[in-house]
Amino acid sequence: MLMEQGRTRMGPVHHELAGEPSFAPMIQIDMEIKAFVSAWRHCDYVSTYMARMISQNRSDSVRHSNLFSSAFNELLEVAFRTRHADGELACRVSRHGATDRIELTFPCVPEERQFYEQAVSQVAGTEARERYLNSVSGDLAPSREVVLLELAVDYNATFRVEEAEGDAIRLVVDLPLEGLEH
Amino acid sequence: MSPYDVLPRFRAQFDANNQEFSISGVVRPQAIDELGPSIASLRDAIGRVRGVLYVNVRRLTQMNNAAFHAFSRVILDACRARPDLKFVVITSSVVGWTSRKFGRLSGIEPNITVQEYDSEFYPGQGFLEEGGFVPILRSQTKMTWRHERAILPRHGMRHGIVMADICCGIGDFAVLVQKEFQPSRIVALDHSISSLTYARQVMREFDIRGIEYTYGDASEMLLDEAQFDLVTCRHSLQIFNRPELILKELYRICKPGGRVYITNEKNSHCLGEPRAESIRWTYNEVAKLFGHFEMDVELGPKSRRYLMEAGFEDIRVETFMVTNLDGDPQDFAEVIAAWADVYAGDMAARRGDGPEFVARFRQGFQDHIFAALHPKGYAGWPIWVASGRRPQ
Repeated sequence: MLMEQGRTRMGPVHHELAGEPSFAPMIQIDMEIKAFVSAWRHCDYVSTYMARMISQNRSDSVRHSNLFSSAFNELLEVAFRTRHADGELACRVSRHGATDRIELTFPCVPEERQFYEQAVSQVAGTEARERYLNSVSGDLAPSREVVLLELAVDYNATFRVEEAEGDAIRLVVDLPLEGLEH
Repeated sequence: MSPYDVLPRFRAQFDANNQEFSISGVVRPQAIDELGPSIASLRDAIGRVRGVLYVNVRRLTQMNNAAFHAFSRVILDACRARPDLKFVVITSSVVGWTSRKFGRLSGIEPNITVQEYDSEFYPGQGFLEEGGFVPILRSQTKMTWRHERAILPRHGMRHGIVMADICCGIGDFAVLVQKEFQPSRIVALDHSISSLTYARQVMREFDIRGIEYTYGDASEMLLDEAQFDLVTCRHSLQIFNRPELILKELYRICKPGGRVYITNEKNSHCLGEPRAESIRWTYNEVAKLFGHFEMDVELGPKSRRYLMEAGFEDIRVETFMVTNLDGDPQDFAEVIAAWADVYAGDMAARRGDGPEFVARFRQGFQDHIFAALHPKGYAGWPIWVASGRRPQ
C-alpha cells in the first residue's frame, strides 16, 4: 500500500509569494523517489487518493475528483520519468477559492531543470493551443512538454517553476477546475 | 500481488452489429505496448466497417495522454487512408474531460465528430424539468415523507451510515434525511443541472452540511463500487426505459450487506370518492400515456421482481397511500393540478391526442381534486416501497 511507503501531512504550507492570494493547505504526501518510481501504478494511486480527499467539499465532488485525478496523474507521470535516482517526491495541494494548487517537488538532473523552465515559459505562450493540436496529430508519443500543454489547453492550468532544496525542482500548477464548464 | 494488479482496469471491445468500438474503465499505461491487443482490435474494427465507426468512450473514466495519443493516432491515420469512413466519438457529459479532449480530434480531421451522449436517455426529464415543476416536487416529497420517515428504518436507514440518493432531483429528500437521521455522509446524484443548482442553493441558504450534490448518469455512475450502506432511488426507475440498468448500478455502489431502497408508483391505482369511475379511467390513461414515452408508471408492484433479478436478497416490499387526509388537502389538490397540467398538457399534445380525449382526460384529474377537497371525500395516491440487501 502506498501509505505504508509514504507519509501524509496535513500541516501548514509555508509557501507564498508577495502579492499572491493566500492558498490554504489541504493535503501533502511525501515519498522517497525510489519508492515512487518502483511501480508505475503509484501515479494512479496518489492522484486518485488525493483527488478524492480534496474534492469532498467542492460543489460537485465526483466530477471534481475525476478532473483533478486526470490532471494530477499526468503531472505525476512526468515526475515518474525523472532521471535523478535519489531524493524525495513531495505532492502538496492547497486551495484558494475555485483554484486548487498542486506543488510537485521532485529531484531532477540539471538538464531536466532547464527543460522544465523552458517548457513552462512556452506553455504560457499564445500559440500553446496550436502546438498542442500539432502534437496530437503528430507521430511522436506525447513528450513531457505536451503533457503540460494539454493541461494548459484543456484544464486552463497555469504553471510556475521554483527552486527547491538540493537537486530538486518544484512545479507549481494552478487548476481552476471548479470553474470549468460541463 | 495486490488486488489492483488482478482487477481489469479497462476494457476495449468491438461490436460488429453496431459498428461500435468501446473503451471503458481506467486506461493509464506506462508503455504503449500494454495497449497492444486493444490497438490491434481497433485497427481490425476499422478494417471491417463501412460508412461509420462509432467510438464509444462514455464509460471511459480515465485515460492518460500516452493512451489517448495511441488510440487517436490509429483513428487519425485511418481518416487519411480511408476518406470514405467517418468516426463518431460518443462521450458522456458526466466525465468532465472526455468531450474536451476527444473534441480536439474533430478540429484536426473533419471526418471525426464528437457527440455527447445522455440527453435522450431520460425521456421524462424534459417534461418534469420544465414548467415550474419544482414547487410540486417539493409538495410531493412533503406528502410522501410523512410515511417514509417511519418506513425507512425498516429498510436500513439509521444514524451514521454512508448513503447515496440516486436521481435526487431537487434534493429535498436528502435534506429531510439529513435532518431526521443524520447519516455521516450523503452523496446525492442527479442528471439535471437545473435541479442540482436549486439543491445547492437550498443547501447554501439553509446552511445544510453533509450532502454532496453531484452530476451524474444513474446508469453509468462515476461513484466507486461497494461504498454505501444504503442507496435510495425514489420515483425514478419508473421513468427510465431500462430500469434494470439503473438497478445494476445501484447494486454496484452498495456495500455487500447494505441495502438498496426504491419507491415507485402504480398510477392506475390512484383512486378517489366520489366520482371514482372518472378518476379510474383517467389514471388508466396516465399509465398508457407514460408507456407511449417508454416510461412504466405501473412499476411499483414489479419492484420485487426487479430486485430479485438484479441479485438482491432479503427483499422487503410494502405500500403506503398518500391521501387527502395527510396534512392539508390543498397540497394534495395542488399536486393533482400540476399532474393535469403536464400530462393533459404537454405530454398529451406531444402524443397527438385530440381535444375530446384531452377534455375527458383532464376531467378525471378535476374529479380527483374534487374528491380530495370534498368534506366527505377521499383521494389516494399509492406508492410501493421495496428494498433488497446486496449479498455479502
